[in-house]
Amino acid sequence: MQIDIALLELGAIMIALAAVGRVALKFGLPPVPFYLVTGLFFGNGGLVPVEEATSFIDVGSSLGVIFLLFMLGLEYTPSELRQSLNANRLSHVVDLVANALPGFVIGLILGWGALGATMLAGITYISSSGVVAKLLVDLGRLGNRETPGILSTLVVEDLVMAVFLPVVAVLLAGDSVITGVISGVIALVIVMVVIALPTRAGHRASKMIDTESGEILLISLLGIALVVAGVAEYFHVSYAIGAFLVGIILSGQVAERARTLLEPLRDSFSALFFVSFGLSVDPAVLLDVLPIAAILGVLGAITKFSSGYWAARHAGSTPRGARRAGATLIPRGEFSIVLAGIAIAGGVDPELGPITVAYVLLLAVGGSLAAKYMA
Amino acid sequence: MEIFETSLPGIGVRYEFDTEDDRRIGVLVHRDGHRDVLVYSADDVDSCSETLRLSSAESASLVELLGGTKITERLSDLRYAVQGLSIDWVSLNGNAPLVGKTIGDGKIRTMSGASVVAVLRSGDSYPGPGPEFALMENDTALVVGSVEGVALARKIIAG
Repeated sequence: MQIDIALLELGAIMIALAAVGRVALKFGLPPVPFYLVTGLFFGNGGLVPVEEATSFIDVGSSLGVIFLLFMLGLEYTPSELRQSLNANRLSHVVDLVANALPGFVIGLILGWGALGATMLAGITYISSSGVVAKLLVDLGRLGNRETPGILSTLVVEDLVMAVFLPVVAVLLAGDSVITGVISGVIALVIVMVVIALPTRAGHRASKMIDTESGEILLISLLGIALVVAGVAEYFHVSYAIGAFLVGIILSGQVAERARTLLEPLRDSFSALFFVSFGLSVDPAVLLDVLPIAAILGVLGAITKFSSGYWAARHAGSTPRGARRAGATLIPRGEFSIVLAGIAIAGGVDPELGPITVAYVLLLAVGGSLAAKYMA
Repeated sequence: MEIFETSLPGIGVRYEFDTEDDRRIGVLVHRDGHRDVLVYSADDVDSCSETLRLSSAESASLVELLGGTKITERLSDLRYAVQGLSIDWVSLNGNAPLVGKTIGDGKIRTMSGASVVAVLRSGDSYPGPGPEFALMENDTALVVGSVEGVALARKIIAG
């Protein structure tokens, strides 16, 4: 690696990200789709292909996923997860079936086999916790009656992923269905233990690593997150989920400080992750798959709006509140990209990459606009 | 009056109630301690017409202006019961000498005879903190003792 060229390339990418980020901010849109597009420019077949910095970007983007999921885990406490799981179970099932089915069917039609289709089902299912939570804050809707329902949908979707990812990760690694089932059961047990963990245990674990110095705390957190992620990956359980579970266990003061300490790291490395995913996509192929992505996008918007609307009505919202709930849940984002990355690394048809980029682009932007202007 | 409490995963806890004029108001306590005062819109009860963001210090001032908390009311009853008893809320800003130190470090009891009987921190309360309890920025300590003792304790805690 030629360090001078690598630095210049990284710098150019960051400046480009900063520029598109400002555009996104101006229109009140989430930056993720803009980061993806930036990646297209610097990638294979793009205008200015990156060469020297790629190895750093590869590692950096894994760190980005770890920080994203670690912070996501920090947002939730086990008791919040329990509450969300216990309330409105039926609407969570409706959400899963209605939104995973279109992806699964289209995956089969495209001839990707059951595993590829399952990955696409996960991609069409999961809403973006990051984009949706930000929308609720920005639009001043935290007080709204439909908001707890929206948040609990996000929580449950993230939890479903914590079980889903380890299973597909093992299957993608080419192991047999039986190993897949076993690792699924193990993942399920670990997730259940983490959720059932009494608040005191989380506090005790957090107290053990607590220290006055922010610097030392940050380094302790990084060490723990990376080791757990590494171990999880070694057992094919997906490093993302390892980091997510550590985040859930940490609580109280430590979690509060961890959020502040890790936020800048997450923001920089997750941007790198989205760019790196964009890098791997050839813009020419993106145009070819646009019709498929558009079909998926329209279906994804309709199914998410309907399941969100139904759940909110079911929970007692007025039609107006239910329309807001349906529209707000439409954006897909970081998790869909994470899934696509894992799928492609595991040998699913590489067309999944550009399709997912286009899908996230359409729904993150379109969904944000829908949330703002509907109702 | 019935107060509804809703947990918002990843954000905090929301409390709301209906006023006699049939308007709904609420308070959203964020994890980091800041509060949103929510005023629900009159024509669409599911949404807010006004969301007012307050820091923990600002919310404390607003509470004082509104006439004190229920705890304060109960404490003032206590004050009538014991002659000469003084009760005070001491807030710790960033420069307070006891930030990052334990209650024992301040030797509050030895020096002033007053005691810290509870600490409020980002919406949580810690009753009966021991000498090993470490105080943090933005904590509010409830101090009980004689009038002079409480004044001295305030000096030790908040400078």
